[in-house]
Amino acid sequence: MSTNPAFGKELRSAYAEGLARVQNDFTENGDGRAAVHGRTALVDSVALRLWKELISPDPEGPRDFALVALGGFGRRWLFPYSDIDILFLHAGGGTERELKDKVRAFSQDMWDLKLKLSPATRTLSECEKFDPNNVEFVISMLDCRYLAGDRKLFAKLHDQVIPKLVTRESRAIVQRLTDLSRSRYNKFGNTVFHLEPNVKDGPGGLRDYNLACWLALIAAMEEKGSWPDENELLPPWLREKFSAALDFLMSARCFLHVRHGRDDNTLAWVAQDQAAEKKVGAPGAGPLTAADWMRIYYGHARLIHRVAVQLMDEFPAARPSLYRQFQSLRSRLSNAEFAVVDGRIFLQKQESLQDPELPLRLFRFMSRHGLSLSSVVEHEMEEMLPALAAAPPTGAALWHYLQEILVGPHAGEALRAMHSLGLLTLLVPEFKGIDSLVIRDYSHRFTVDEHTFVTIENLHALRQSQSKWDQRYAELLDELEQPDLLYLALLLHDTGKGTKPGNHIAGSHELAEACMARLDLDAPDRETVLFLIDRHLELSAGLRRDIFDPENIRQIAERMGTPERLKMLCLLTYADIKAVNPDALTPWKAENIWQLYIGAANYLMRTVDERLHVNADDEVLNHLRTLAPAAGKKLEAFLDGLPRRYLRTQTASDVISQMEMANRLGEDSVQLALTRGRQWFELTLVTRDRPFLFAKMTGALAAWGMNIVKAAAFSNATGIVVDQFFFTDRFQTLELNLPEWERFKTSVHDVLTGKADLERMLRDRLRADKNAVPKVKVETQIIVDDECSEHSTLIEVITQDRPGLLYRVASQFARENCNIEIALIETEGQTAIDVFYLTSGGAKLSPERQERLKTALFEELAGAQAAV
Amino acid sequence: MTKVEAVIQTTKLDDVKDALHEIGVEGMTVLEARGHGRQKGHTEVYRGREYTVDLIPKIKVEMVLADEMVEKAVQTILKAARTGQIGDGKIFLSKVNDAIRIRNDERGESAL
Repeated sequence: MSTNPAFGKELRSAYAEGLARVQNDFTENGDGRAAVHGRTALVDSVALRLWKELISPDPEGPRDFALVALGGFGRRWLFPYSDIDILFLHAGGGTERELKDKVRAFSQDMWDLKLKLSPATRTLSECEKFDPNNVEFVISMLDCRYLAGDRKLFAKLHDQVIPKLVTRESRAIVQRLTDLSRSRYNKFGNTVFHLEPNVKDGPGGLRDYNLACWLALIAAMEEKGSWPDENELLPPWLREKFSAALDFLMSARCFLHVRHGRDDNTLAWVAQDQAAEKKVGAPGAGPLTAADWMRIYYGHARLIHRVAVQLMDEFPAARPSLYRQFQSLRSRLSNAEFAVVDGRIFLQKQESLQDPELPLRLFRFMSRHGLSLSSVVEHEMEEMLPALAAAPPTGAALWHYLQEILVGPHAGEALRAMHSLGLLTLLVPEFKGIDSLVIRDYSHRFTVDEHTFVTIENLHALRQSQSKWDQRYAELLDELEQPDLLYLALLLHDTGKGTKPGNHIAGSHELAEACMARLDLDAPDRETVLFLIDRHLELSAGLRRDIFDPENIRQIAERMGTPERLKMLCLLTYADIKAVNPDALTPWKAENIWQLYIGAANYLMRTVDERLHVNADDEVLNHLRTLAPAAGKKLEAFLDGLPRRYLRTQTASDVISQMEMANRLGEDSVQLALTRGRQWFELTLVTRDRPFLFAKMTGALAAWGMNIVKAAAFSNATGIVVDQFFFTDRFQTLELNLPEWERFKTSVHDVLTGKADLERMLRDRLRADKNAVPKVKVETQIIVDDECSEHSTLIEVITQDRPGLLYRVASQFARENCNIEIALIETEGQTAIDVFYLTSGGAKLSPERQERLKTALFEELAGAQAAV
Repeated sequence: MTKVEAVIQTTKLDDVKDALHEIGVEGMTVLEARGHGRQKGHTEVYRGREYTVDLIPKIKVEMVLADEMVEKAVQTILKAARTGQIGDGKIFLSKVNDAIRIRNDERGESAL
C-alpha cells in the first residue's frame, strides 16, 4: 500500500471484516437488497477514509475536484464481488496535473484492498462530450453519486452536464445501448429460458433491469430536459412486480457471489439445488424443489426482459432511417381492429376489449406479421385474462384460431408472447406442466417450453434459410397437406415431461388426447397428431442404426405407413434436434436424417402396389374389423386385393363409407361423394373398372375448371375401383354456389355413364384457358421404371402443370390398353409430378409398349404445351 | 501414454462405449465423422434428383490411455466393433508426450 503501513493494515482488516459481516448477514437473512446496500456503504467508507488520508483531510475538499461513484456503485448496488466504477472529476486541466500522483496512490490502495476498481479521470467539459465507442461511460453517469470533494463541481455534472448531454444525444445513446443489448441477447440465444442462466447478463437478468430503467430515464429526461422523479419512471402497474423481481435477482446474485467467492453469475444446476433449499429470494415460500425455484426465477426474468425489449422498441428515435422506413411500411398492415405504429400493435377501438375473442385475433395478427405488442395493449390483455379464465374459449372455434396462429410465419414469437402473458396455458392447460421447466440433460440448453417454441420457429425458419440442408427440408414442409397438425404435435410433443418425466411420450400422448378432445379435432387429425407424438424419437433412434441397411429402412417405412406421415416425422425430428441447442443439428446429423428419409420414402414408393390379403395380420385391418363387426364378409370382400397403401391413406370411417358406396353399386353404377377439406375439395368415386375411367374423371374435373392437386386410384380383386381427387376450385364455383354441388356431381356422373359429351365440355373450357401464360417453364421428363415393382411398370411424368393435363396423360394410357393400378398425383407450384403404376393384361408393360407410350406421351405433352 | 483413435460404424458406438467402461476406460471423446476406406458409397434417387454419399457416416472415438491399458482397450474395441463386413473401421495408435488437467495443472498419467 502506498499509505502508511499501519493505516493500510487497519483499512484492509476493516474492509475484510465488513465484507465478512455483509456476507454473513446475507447467509442468515437472505436479503440481497440489504447486502448490496451494505457492501456499498462499506466501500463508501473505505473510499472516504482513503480520500481523507491521501487527497484531502476535508471530505468536501479540495476545490475543483470530486470523487464520483458511477454505475452499480453509484446506484448503491455493490454485490459482494462486483467491480467498482469511480470517476475522478476535475473542473479543468490544472487539478488533473496537480493531483495526478495522489489519484494514482488512491487507485493503487483500492486495488491493494482487492477491490476491482474501474477508475476514469475526466474534466467537466470531457464529460459533456459523447463518444459513440464508449457509450458505457455515459450510461454509467446516469447512476452517478457524490462521494467526496467539491460538491459544487459534482452538482454541475449532475444538474447541468448530464441532462444537457442526454437531451442532446438521446438518439445516439439509445441506439448504441440498443445495439449492445441486442448483441448481448444474441450471445444468449435471445431467450431468458436457459437451463443454467446468467442472472446478470442473460436476457431478463439484472442488466436488463438496468436497461429498462435507463431507457425510461433517458426518455423522461429527453422530454423534461432535467432529472425526472425516478419513482415515476415505470408505469404504476409495473412498479410492484418490477421491485419484487429486483429483490429476487439481487438475492440470487448475492447468493452466487457468496457461494463462489467471486463475480460468477451463472446459476449452474448445483447452485440451483442449494438456492432452492435455502429459498433464496423467496423466504416466505413453502418447501421448494430446484424446478420450483427456477420457475420463480424465470417468472421474474421473463417480466424484466419483456419490459426491456418493449422499451427498446418504443424508442423509435433510436432507429436508423432505413429501419424506420421498414417500420412505416409495416404500419400499412393496420386494419379496422389493429393499428401498427413503429412495428408495435395498438387497438383501434377500446370497445373491442369487451370481445373475448380479441386476444386470439390479436395473436393471430402477430403470428402473421411478426409485430410486437405495445406495452399498453399488453397491459390490456393482462387485464382481460381473469374474465377469459372464467369462460375460456374451447372447441372448433379455438382450434381454428390456434391453427392460424401455429401456421403463421411468426408463430414462435406469438406463442412466446401468449405464454408470457399466461394466455397459452389458459387456452392449452396441458402446457402448464412444462412452463419454465428445467430438465437436466447435458445436451439441452433451454427449458422445455422454450425448446418447444424453438422447434416451431425452426420449421418456419426453413423457408427463409439459404442452407442447402434447410432448403431440402423446406420443400418437404411445402408439400404437407396439413402442416397445422405437425405444428400442434410440436406444441404438445414434450408436455409429458411435466407429468411423466420417466416416460414423457406416454404423458404427452395423454395430454394431447385431452387437449384435442377439447379442441374438437376430427378423429383422423387426432390420430395423426398422436402418431407424431408417439413416434417423435423414432427417426432419431433410426440414426443410431445403419441408415443404409434395407431392413432398418423397411422397418422405419412400415412404421410410418404413408409418405405424408414420414414427411411430417422427418420435419419434426429435424426441428426437435435443432432446438436442443444451437449446435445439436450438425451437418452430419442433417445429412443422415435426410438419407434415412429418402430411403424410407423410396421404400414406400416401391412397395406402393403390394396387394392386401384379408387373411393377413394387419394392425389397421384388425382395427377395422373391430369397428365394423357387422360388415363382416362384405368388408373383407371389398378390401381384398386393394393395395396396402389404401389402408394406410384412408381413415377407418372413410373405408367403411367407401365399402357402403360399393354395396350401393347395384342401385347406381357410379357412386360419388363430394366433401370440402381445409385446403381443397375431395371427390371420391366408387365404381367398376372400365377403360378410360380415370381419364374421363380427370377430364370432367378439368372441364369444370377444377385444378387437381392430388389424386389416388385403387382397385380391388373384384374390379371395383376407388378413385380420389383432391382439387382446388379455381373459379369458386362450388365455394360460392351451394346449388352447384349437385349439378357438378350430376355432370361428372353423366360423363362417366356416357350421357354427357366430355370432348365438347373440354373444348369450351380449354379455349377459355389457352391464354394463360405459365410463370415458370418446366421441362417434361418421362421416367419408366420396370424394376421397382414386382407387379407393375412405373411411369413418372414430370411436366408443366396445366389444365386438362391428367386427362391427356390418362387418355394415352387408355389408348395403349394400360390399366392404372395406382396413380399418385402431386403438384409442386407449376410442376406436376405424377406417378402411375401400370399393367396391361394383368402384367407389366412390354418394352415395345413402354417405348410407344413414352413417345406418345412426349408428343401429347409437347403439343399441349404449344397450345398453352 | 498412447492415443487410441478408433473409427467405427455408427451403430457400434454404444457397444464399444459399454465394453470400454467395463474394462475401466471412462474418459473418451466421441466425434461425428465421415469417411471411406474400401467401402463403397451409396446413391439414392429421390424425385428425379440423385443423392450420392461418397463419404459414409462414421464415429470416431478418441482416448488417451496409460500404456499398460492400450492393448486391452484395442482388443475390447476390436471385439465390440467387429461385424466382419467391409466398413467396420480402423484403430490408430500414437504416442502422447504429456497430458495436463486444466482444472488443477495435474500432469502425466494422473491427469488422464
